[in-house]
Amino acid sequence: MRFATVAVAIARKDLMSEWRTRELVPALAQFVVLALVIANFGFQIDSHNASAIAPGVLWLALVFAGLIAFGRAFAAEREHATLEAMLMTGAQPAAIFAGKALSAGLLLVVCEAVLLPALGLLFGVDVSAGLVGAVLLATIGMAALGCLFAAMVAQLRARELLLPLLTLPLWIPFIVAGGQAVQSAMGASGAFDQAVKLLLDFDILFVVLTSLAARFVLDD
Amino acid sequence: MTRYVYAAGGAVLLMLAAAGMIFFFAPEDALQHEVQRIFYLHVSSAIAAFVSFAVVLVGSVMYLWRESIAGDRVARAAALVGVVLTTVTLVMGMLWAKPVWGAYWAWDARLTSTLVLWIVYAGYLLVRRLAAPGRQAARFGAVVGIFGFVDVPIVYFSVTWWRTQHPGPVIATDALPPDMLVTFLFTMACTLVLAAVMIAIRYRIETLLDAKPVGEMVIAPRAEPAL
Repeated sequence: MRFATVAVAIARKDLMSEWRTRELVPALAQFVVLALVIANFGFQIDSHNASAIAPGVLWLALVFAGLIAFGRAFAAEREHATLEAMLMTGAQPAAIFAGKALSAGLLLVVCEAVLLPALGLLFGVDVSAGLVGAVLLATIGMAALGCLFAAMVAQLRARELLLPLLTLPLWIPFIVAGGQAVQSAMGASGAFDQAVKLLLDFDILFVVLTSLAARFVLDD
Repeated sequence: MTRYVYAAGGAVLLMLAAAGMIFFFAPEDALQHEVQRIFYLHVSSAIAAFVSFAVVLVGSVMYLWRESIAGDRVARAAALVGVVLTTVTLVMGMLWAKPVWGAYWAWDARLTSTLVLWIVYAGYLLVRRLAAPGRQAARFGAVVGIFGFVDVPIVYFSVTWWRTQHPGPVIATDALPPDMLVTFLFTMACTLVLAAVMIAIRYRIETLLDAKPVGEMVIAPRAEPAL
């Protein structure tokens, strides 16, 4: 079977299952709005400091929503023991992994479609194309890494505990570069182009590395 | 067995000799006075930690590439030693930072990336503990070991472009007076020997643990509750 066929078939299956149950996306959307409300109380936000705090709030909400999304990506497979079934079909583990990462990444993008307008509305920031682009670029690498470790912890004890511990440190490069890009897109000083290039480099590096590592995580 | 006792004794003696050099041979710093003596062990343990994590990387790659059990064991051993050495580096650095910078911590590139390093390899140890012993633990550990080693320089360089407070390299730039340099190089050599001995001993322990069937792990008998 061809790599792309398998990946698209698996992503399609996951997205269709989400479309039919509509479990994850509404919960995630509610979660990110709730995160903005909590940030309001935590930071005592007013009209003066809102735009300065907004980038940090954006990344915090995104990172934790991502953890939930990627943790769920393999939860259903584990509950029904269907991961083993997929691996027995002879499809490449890297293709299965790519499909899972694609669908989980797309679900996170849907959640960003709620988060970014909410941030613009409630924090008074201008959601520019540059900002959206930077967030989307970061999502690619975060999805690759998040899905790799989600696949790993799905096979372990204490998986809810371990997923953030393994994933968050490896997401830091995306948060550093993405944070810089978002801050300069929101009008703070800083090199937007340099940060976006860095995001691209990280995306390429981690997509390649995770697809190489997928074989060792899934084929067990 | 005695080989390990001699090696451990030798490493301890070397560290004591290094302590002697640090406190009685190295000159006092003109600006920071006594507290600067933290430098020798702080930098040495940081370098030994990096070397340990490089060993984890090599062992992990060897395992994934060739299914080398020895590679896996050496990675396990080096990860533990590396986490201990990173802890020493962080604690000594914080103790040094308080009098000199006025705070235990600064969100500086080097501090942040060292903390991330610690978290990544503490995660490695946790994965080893939670995964099913054998093939799964070895594979997952190797993946975490490799990603961790790739991530840390990236974190380092990505944060270094925006903020920095920690001093840069002093050895390569020839900034140390000769007596300090000699003391530092001696301490570093001793710390590397200590790290190597600790890895070797831990390797032996891992070999013995591997030799036991899973059900037969030696667990200390639980004390009867006193009434």
